[in-house]
Amino acid sequence: MYLNIKSTKENTFDAIVVGSGMTGGFAAKELTEKGMKVLMIERGKEIKHVQDYDTAMKQPWEIEHRGKTTLVSAEERWANSRFWGLGSEEVVNHLTNDKENPYVEKRPFDWIRAYHTGGKSMHWGRQSYRWNKQDFEANAKEGIGIDWPIRYEDLEPWYTHVEKFVGVSGQKEGLDVLPDGHFLPPMPLFAPEAYFKKVMFDKFNRPVTVGRVANLTQPQAIHTELGRASCQYRNKCARGCPYGGYYSSLSGAIPAAVRTKRLTMLHDSIVAEIIYDDKKNKAVGVRVINQLTNAVTDYFSKIIFLNAGSINTAALMLNSKSSRFPNGFGNDSDQVGRNLMDHQLGAGATAMIEGFEDDYVYGQRPNALYIPRFRNWGNDKQTAYLRGFGYQGGASREGWNRGVAADGFGGDFKENLTKPGAWTISIGGFGEVLPDPNNRMYLDPDKKDKWGVPLIVFDAAFSDNDRAIRKDIVASAVEMLETAGFKNVTPYDRPTHLGLGIHDMGTARMGRDPKTSVLNSFNQVHDSKNVFVTDGAAMASASCVNPSITYMALTARAVDYAVKSLKKKEL
Amino acid sequence: MNRREVIKSVALMFGGTLSTPTLMAMNHWEQATTPTTNVAAFGLTVTQQKIVAEVAEMIIPKTNTVGAKDVGVPAFIEMMLKDCYLSSDHQRFMEGLTSLEQLKFLELNEAERRGAIKMLEQQTKEQMKTPSKTVPFWRLMKELTLLGYFTSEAGIKASFEYIQIPGKLENIKLKPNQKSYAY
Ligand SMILES: Cc1cc2nc3c(=O)[nH]c(=O)nc-3n(C[C@H](O)[C@H](O)[C@H](O)COP(=O)(O)OP(=O)(O)OC[C@H]3O[C@@H](n4cnc5c(N)ncnc54)[C@H](O)[C@@H]3O)c2cc1C
Ligand code: SF4
Repeated sequence: MYLNIKSTKENTFDAIVVGSGMTGGFAAKELTEKGMKVLMIERGKEIKHVQDYDTAMKQPWEIEHRGKTTLVSAEERWANSRFWGLGSEEVVNHLTNDKENPYVEKRPFDWIRAYHTGGKSMHWGRQSYRWNKQDFEANAKEGIGIDWPIRYEDLEPWYTHVEKFVGVSGQKEGLDVLPDGHFLPPMPLFAPEAYFKKVMFDKFNRPVTVGRVANLTQPQAIHTELGRASCQYRNKCARGCPYGGYYSSLSGAIPAAVRTKRLTMLHDSIVAEIIYDDKKNKAVGVRVINQLTNAVTDYFSKIIFLNAGSINTAALMLNSKSSRFPNGFGNDSDQVGRNLMDHQLGAGATAMIEGFEDDYVYGQRPNALYIPRFRNWGNDKQTAYLRGFGYQGGASREGWNRGVAADGFGGDFKENLTKPGAWTISIGGFGEVLPDPNNRMYLDPDKKDKWGVPLIVFDAAFSDNDRAIRKDIVASAVEMLETAGFKNVTPYDRPTHLGLGIHDMGTARMGRDPKTSVLNSFNQVHDSKNVFVTDGAAMASASCVNPSITYMALTARAVDYAVKSLKKKEL
Repeated sequence: MNRREVIKSVALMFGGTLSTPTLMAMNHWEQATTPTTNVAAFGLTVTQQKIVAEVAEMIIPKTNTVGAKDVGVPAFIEMMLKDCYLSSDHQRFMEGLTSLEQLKFLELNEAERRGAIKMLEQQTKEQMKTPSKTVPFWRLMKELTLLGYFTSEAGIKASFEYIQIPGKLENIKLKPNQKSYAY
């Protein structure tokens, strides 16, 4: 091993942040804005906001395979291409090459990864929902997993803080199940969706709202001063947005951190270990392998934020063994890597809508409609399962591709396909998954990657509760679409595994008791308090709403606490 | 039996209640040899390319606007098959294509071609009722023709109102005969 021994001083910072994605970016922004000198370390290649969005402005005919996954992509990105559209050449080069970064599936796990500046924040669907009060209380009430050490009220101000910075468009609804946030103006529902909303309310008393989404419908000074502009409604966000119309680390947090002149960024730098000083009894830094040169360098800091994404954060902890932590850093409880959760995705129903022939839409809405959880909520009691699910979906008019399955060919057929077709609607569930210590990832004792870091093994699957929820996701979708009077209602239930929801979480959970949890109520590692974990690993349960805004709120709250503690010399 | 009779008898079968033999099966019944498909190196012969071009043009003909051939759909289809489809898909595609080849499709007049394609369409519908990992020739041909045409520069501009940057999002009322937006 070649050890790059620069002077320790040169490699010492106030704080180190591991990962530049959704949560790492936010940690770096908050830390630098509070006066910290920060080193953010990213394992993947550098992507520069706007200039490296190489497909963003391509016209349809400039995309050679027109959005289809090539055999080469399917082989290289064998895991990423399990998710709809991620194998397409519009985006595929921004997703991790799975062949070069293999993992082991003891039981199958659909692991979607984006190793580069901004991580998965470049690719996310931007759906942003606050958790509700119940979400934090349910574990304790139902005796599932462990109790959260915090409640909604602890996070509430931080949700607002994050929403303001990120810019979330949404409609206030005054619902307990889906707390309102600090919103930019909502996007419109389309005509048949507005009808659907009315029927669902009249017949089931179920609210339907337009998706809450991190796209700027009306940018504020806090956005424009970072160079972000209004969304142009192209719905090509997945390619990266040249306008900064949607939030990512690249468009928001990183420019904000750079602006402070206190951020140093490393790319191509894999954090392989947390360095624990047994004499000082604390974590003092990290060991980094350059992915291009294999050079190994140590960096030091007073505090460390782990934001490598739930799975990589847990892997990094497990790979960091010291005499104090022989089972992996912070792993006295043996909970690191366990309780791996996700959301269920890929089940729901579609239908044809008769009528609304005169209604059409100008522009592409980078958003959906949302139906908040209604199961095991209020008066509803399910006997088959705990918790519930929400739906995302929407209505649209069929385009030319309706011709593929239709009969006919020739001049009239061709002419007909240039006009908008019938309205169709699709709704798909996001189902809560319960924590289970036997759903886990760990390090392979033998197999290593090309940098000598152990491969990650997945050993996790859906439970009976999860499957019962999934069944109801399909049945309720059918019932709702039929009740709305839509035609040809068709259920779908794609076979999936944990991971496909891309909401992996739980692998270093927060809790009240160091015996059963890894982190305390401020995301500090119980026995190494200058190390904070604020990505999805921290989650003690999963709720059924998209998690990123919650991860960011936890991050901002933890940074606030860390900096205050540091100033009080408690860390 | 000459090919005209072949078509006639197949047409008869469709009118009747007989189970549906594929064109491939029809060829076997004619004792013709089926050319083997070399899947490792996927490529079409000149004749096959011509058939693909003619069939694509039948799906999207040149009218007062450009057609499939004008915008390069035939080459697009071959490229897509090669780059994006597995050998099992190639095989299924070749089954359909070789049966048209053996039917001497290129020598048929327009009405005969239409008749053959209509039959193929009916058969495909039957075949699609059986779940399979691969898609029959006609379905794939249609999918790739529409994809190639409606995403080509000339195809998009001739068919739709192409808007690269909408700039706003609005519910609107459709005007009579209004074309779809493409983005
Ligand atoms: C297609 C798609 C749609 C999504 N839609 C939504 C949605 O609508 N709403 C929502 O809330 N969420 C959504 N998500 C999920 C969201 O992207 C994640 O929750 C979020 O990005 C997680 O943030 P993170 O910081 O934990 O991880 P990431 O954003 O993945 O960032 C982790 C970073 O750490 C780096 N890293 C990993 N290991 C190391 C290491 N050892 N050393 C150094 N760096 C390392 C990675 O390269 C990466 O850049 C979606 C995700 C995808 C892919
Ligand atoms: S829809 Fe809006 S945010 Fe998304 S890429 Fe287009 S302009 Fe950017």
